[in-house]
Amino acid sequence: MITAERKPITEIEAMLNPFRRILVVGCGTCVAECAAGGEKEVALLSSALRMDARLKGRKIEVGEVTIDRQCVYEFINELTGFVDHYDAILSLGCGAGVQAVAGLFPKMPVLPGLNTKFIGETKETGLWIENCRACGDCKLGYFAGVCPLTRCAKGLLNGPCGGSKNGVCETNPDTPCAWQMIIDRLEGRGQIDLLQTIFPPVDWSKYEGKGPRKIEREDQRSGS
Amino acid sequence: MAQQKKGPVFAIFFCQQLDARQDINRRCLEKEFGSHIRFFPIPCSGRIEPLHLLKAIESGADMAYLLTCGEGDCRYGEGNIRAKKRVNYAQGLIEEIGLERKRIVLISKKIDAPVSIDILVREAIAGNDMLPIQWNGHNLQVDD
Repeated sequence: MITAERKPITEIEAMLNPFRRILVVGCGTCVAECAAGGEKEVALLSSALRMDARLKGRKIEVGEVTIDRQCVYEFINELTGFVDHYDAILSLGCGAGVQAVAGLFPKMPVLPGLNTKFIGETKETGLWIENCRACGDCKLGYFAGVCPLTRCAKGLLNGPCGGSKNGVCETNPDTPCAWQMIIDRLEGRGQIDLLQTIFPPVDWSKYEGKGPRKIEREDQRSGS
Repeated sequence: MAQQKKGPVFAIFFCQQLDARQDINRRCLEKEFGSHIRFFPIPCSGRIEPLHLLKAIESGADMAYLLTCGEGDCRYGEGNIRAKKRVNYAQGLIEEIGLERKRIVLISKKIDAPVSIDILVREAIAGNDMLPIQWNGHNLQVDD
C-alpha cells in the first residue's frame, strides 16, 4: 500500500487561491486505507476548505468525488465530463494518482492535496509502517520476510550491526531491530543457515538513475 | 428563547447511553432555545466522526459539543476514548482554518449517579464564553 499524509491546509489554500470552482477527488484504494484520501477525508477537507473560504470572504464552490483508483485510466475516466464544471482538481491521491489524473485532463490544473510517503503496511489501526523501498531486487526469501534494506536503520544486508539492545535499534528505541526479527524467525524455523550467505552491495541500478521505472507484461496488454 | 436570539448556536451530540430520560430532558432545552440548539443522539460516542462536528459548524453551529460517559464507563468498552481522539482531531482541523479549538468541546461525565443531559448542557452553555463565529465579519444568525 502507498501511504500519504494530508498537506497543511495553508499550503492547500495557497495552491487553490486562483481558483473558484474546485473538485476534490479522492482515491478509494491505498490512501483511503491510510485515512488520507478516501471518501471521509474528501468530505472533511472539503468542509474545511468551504469554511476557510467563508472566513476569509472568498466565494468558492467545492465539489466532492471519490473514485476507486486514481492510478488506473478506467476509473479516472469516470470523471470525464464531470470535471468540466470546475476550474481545478485537488487530488487526494498519491503522486501516481495525481499524475495519472493530470495526464487524462491536461488542460485542467491538477493539484496535490497529499504528500506521498512510502510503501507500507497497516500495522494496527492508525499505524502504518514503511516496509518496502521498492528496490527492484527483492531478497525477502532469505530474510524470513523482513526487509533489512527498509527496516534496518542502517540498511544492512549482512547484519546484525551489534547496536541492537533488547530487540530495538540503537538509533531509535521505537524501532524494532530488523535483524533481531530476522534471526528470531529463522531460528524458529530452523533455517538460521540462510544467514551464511554473504550478499554483495545492492544493485541500485534496478532502483533509480534511469528515469521512471516500468513493468511491461505483454500477456496483460491489449492490441497486437 | 428570547434571551438567546442573538447568541451562539449550539450543536449537541450525545451518547444515548448517558441519560435514560434523554428525550424528556432535552425537550425543555429545545423549547427554550428554539433553533439555537440542536441535539444529535448517537448510540455510542465512539460513533462520532470529525466530519459530524465540522459539518455542524459549517451548517451554522457556533459551538459543537459531544457529551460522553466518563472513561471506563462506556457500555461498549472504549467508545468514549475514541471519541476523545476524534474530537481532538476535529479541533486541530478547525484550528488550521483559523477557528478556535474550543468551539468543539468534549464533555465527559462519570456515570456514578443518574445523569441529566438537560443539566449537563445548561452547565456547558453557562460556561461558554465564545461569541457567534464571524464569517468574514458576518455571523450566520438563525431565525427562530
